Amino acid sequence: MAAPVALSIDEQITQLDDARRLVLSDPNYYPRIIQGILPIINREARVELKRWAADFLAEGFASPQLPSQQKEALGLIVLDTLKSLLENPHEDIVVLESVVQTAATIYPLVLKWIINNPYDGPTWERMLAVKSRILRIWDTAATGVRICCIKFAQQVVLAQTTGPDPEPRRDGSEMSLSLVPENHPLIAPRNLEAEGSGLLDRILGIFQESTINTVLVNATLNSLSLLVRARPRIANKILNVILNFNPLKLANSPMTPKLRVMVKSMEKTTRSLLIHINKRDPQNPLSGRIQQYVERMMRSRTEIFDEANKKRGHPEYIDGMDPAKRQKLGGQAVTAAANRLHVPPLAPGPHTVGELFTITTDDALKKFDVAQLSEDLVVKIGITILQRLDSDILNQAIDGIRYRYKSLESTQPGEFSFATLPLSVDDDEDEYEPDFFNAEDTEQILNKLDTEQPEEPDIPATDMTLGKFTLPLPPPLTPEQAIRIGQDTITRVFGVMQTLDEPGKKTKAGMNRLAASTYDRDAWITIITRLATRAAAGLEEPPAIIKQEVDAGSSLSLANNIRESLYVYVLEDFRKRIDIAVAWLCEEWYNDRVQAKYETDPVLHYDKWVLKVLNGILPYLDARDKVLTRFLSEIPALSAEVLERVKGLCRDPSMVNLALTSLLYLVMMRPPVREIALDAVEDVWATFLLTTSFTDEDAKPMAAKYLTKWRPGFADRIKAAGDDEMKTNGSAAAA
Amino acid sequence: MEAHLRLATANYPVISFGTGSNVRLPGPSISQPNVYAFNRTSYDSMYKELYVKDEHLYRANGVLELLDRNRGIKWGPERWQDWSIGLPRLTQTNDKGSVGTEGGTVDVVFTCEERCWDAVIEDLHQRGGKLNKPVHVINVGIIDNAKEALAGGSAILDLANCFQKALEEEEEKFGSGSQARDGFDDRVPEIIGEWEERWPALPVSWTLAWF
Repeated sequence: MAAPVALSIDEQITQLDDARRLVLSDPNYYPRIIQGILPIINREARVELKRWAADFLAEGFASPQLPSQQKEALGLIVLDTLKSLLENPHEDIVVLESVVQTAATIYPLVLKWIINNPYDGPTWERMLAVKSRILRIWDTAATGVRICCIKFAQQVVLAQTTGPDPEPRRDGSEMSLSLVPENHPLIAPRNLEAEGSGLLDRILGIFQESTINTVLVNATLNSLSLLVRARPRIANKILNVILNFNPLKLANSPMTPKLRVMVKSMEKTTRSLLIHINKRDPQNPLSGRIQQYVERMMRSRTEIFDEANKKRGHPEYIDGMDPAKRQKLGGQAVTAAANRLHVPPLAPGPHTVGELFTITTDDALKKFDVAQLSEDLVVKIGITILQRLDSDILNQAIDGIRYRYKSLESTQPGEFSFATLPLSVDDDEDEYEPDFFNAEDTEQILNKLDTEQPEEPDIPATDMTLGKFTLPLPPPLTPEQAIRIGQDTITRVFGVMQTLDEPGKKTKAGMNRLAASTYDRDAWITIITRLATRAAAGLEEPPAIIKQEVDAGSSLSLANNIRESLYVYVLEDFRKRIDIAVAWLCEEWYNDRVQAKYETDPVLHYDKWVLKVLNGILPYLDARDKVLTRFLSEIPALSAEVLERVKGLCRDPSMVNLALTSLLYLVMMRPPVREIALDAVEDVWATFLLTTSFTDEDAKPMAAKYLTKWRPGFADRIKAAGDDEMKTNGSAAAA
Repeated sequence: MEAHLRLATANYPVISFGTGSNVRLPGPSISQPNVYAFNRTSYDSMYKELYVKDEHLYRANGVLELLDRNRGIKWGPERWQDWSIGLPRLTQTNDKGSVGTEGGTVDVVFTCEERCWDAVIEDLHQRGGKLNKPVHVINVGIIDNAKEALAGGSAILDLANCFQKALEEEEEKFGSGSQARDGFDDRVPEIIGEWEERWPALPVSWTLAWF
């Protein structure tokens, strides 16, 4: 691609244009062409060539034709070039603009690459150098470059903030903070987030600057919509800053054509953004404030520009105007003919805002509700009057109202604050107060009060305020009542569990699951078992509980009631609910262990309830039931007492096989209880297999096999016994 | 389309769009407009259809004249919201002003009605500025009739010429080594302000948005 030196700049550009045409028709050429042009855009290259190449890069990376994986790979190649161009202090603006645009597109791609390739430190270093250079020139470069820096910062914020929950998966090219693993060696999510947050503050700082650069403000406003939409966690912060921004602030200076374009543009841009946000998400918590802001802006805009733009006046409204309409327009509603204006002082006592501003003495006029008129009409009338009104009269009216207000204020301190009136928006957002008042003159404030007046009479005055009302506390429950209510609740939960029975297919929840968060049967079981085992432990200091448990059974009885209910619930259908029994007993066991940590002599539940459940199950077992084996192998701890019960099963000859299988399973699979399990097997051997004449022929050799394997002396004993045996029962074969 | 023609004739690269849901042309009565789909219907086919339908009516109300002009400018109407910004436009070579639009983007968007400006800005917010490319969006409010359209076309061309002049001046500043360069974008409010003085009857809105 490198053009021969002999070619003129124009000829080289023509060649490059051909190359561009090629990639436009087939994006597969991008890698080759980009690699080809990189050598020609060093710092010393002709500015025409650099402009062309930088523009080409910006275009290529923005192209919807190029797949994002390919952009990711190409992004790594161009970083060096971007860095060297950015670091040239005398670089051309047009080149810089394209370079920063390219960097804005590349940044999330490189971040993604780094996530997946944590070893690639050098690339990340280059990206960091590009980023820090852009952030450094952000404040000082030419406006055209600065707007691109704003967009770059917006992309960084977008990439380094988490998205909504759950994050929408669109095309895989989206980058957000949640993709960064916690333990990444190069990029710690916490640092990225902090940087993003700082950059957002810097972006929003423009709305608080004293000198307003319209182009930058517009570029910022128009880049914020995506952040508000896709990053709900920072949306409120952004919106609050915008809602405190007054794009008409500049309107106080003398209006030059340029200034008018600037003010109108910022106002319209702000309004469009807010309208867009409310349209996209009408349910957002700030929608009310946004609506108010938009309406207020439209009014102020009309006031400022229609006043300045005399050709749009509507004198016809003056002539046909009902005198009643003038009355509600407050202090200004006087004809120019009257040169002495009398504002009657207010009678003592509470007054509405409407009364404060009503200066007519005609009672009929006072009753006219200006809210019946359309807002447009009121605005037009107001403007026309303001244009014609003698300023002397207006000042008299204002003074009159001011006098009224002051006297009202002195009699009713704190009841009515003028300062909060026009900004009667969410009070909880008041940590930032813009210099809204200084930006407007008295006339504008009055106008605003005027137009808002229809809403004001609804604001309750002092006579409407209610005293403090506190709901009386309910009578305290007796312990019996509390237990009964607790029992009712438990019954209800079991009722719910019945309806939720038969969980469908189980989904694998993975490592990050949270117990009891799905509201299915399992979740309720978790809740109910923990309520039984831990509720008392959670409410008071552990040592205190234990004492209480020992002394007074009342607080315990709820827990025990739940245990009873659980027990009944399991036994109702123990084959299907054995998992519940295991889950519950696990909780009991765990709780016992925890209790034991705090108390030297804790009240233990596990052993008691294991036995109880087992006793409940044993009578109903069938010779082929696997449930016993499962139960014994899954419960967290086994005692000799438990095995004693299992042994007891062998009294029924048909159950010997089942008991033995379960015990032998424990011998094989649970080494910690192997010894006691073997003891039990040996006992069974001695007590039942040798003495009882029973039909199942498999049991004996099976038991003998295991005992021989695990109990060294057994083989000899069996031999001795075997001789006797052969006499009575010719079929037994010792292993 | 008048502005498209004027700008293209002055050798500016131009793409033109509508923002409505369909193309609507006047029909026999106000409640019976002729409705066509954007992007799929050529001006030529509209012309032929209406010619056959009622040549007299559509010649009298100017629709045929309009379509005849438009079919000389480009193949058919495109819809803004369907535009894939940045998708190469290599096949539209018969459209006037197509030279220079191959990359599928523009630097300035002109609208001729306030609601079109609103629709464009709303759409750009919706797209989210993924291309990171700044674009000036300017509305010049033109009343939709033949006479006003002519005047409006001249006004837009005037504004485009002012932009072009400023752009060239700024680009040359680098060559002269001047460091006092604020760039083109900073001058836009002033250029529009001066232009507004020359065209006081045309209301204007402007912002800097993102593709």
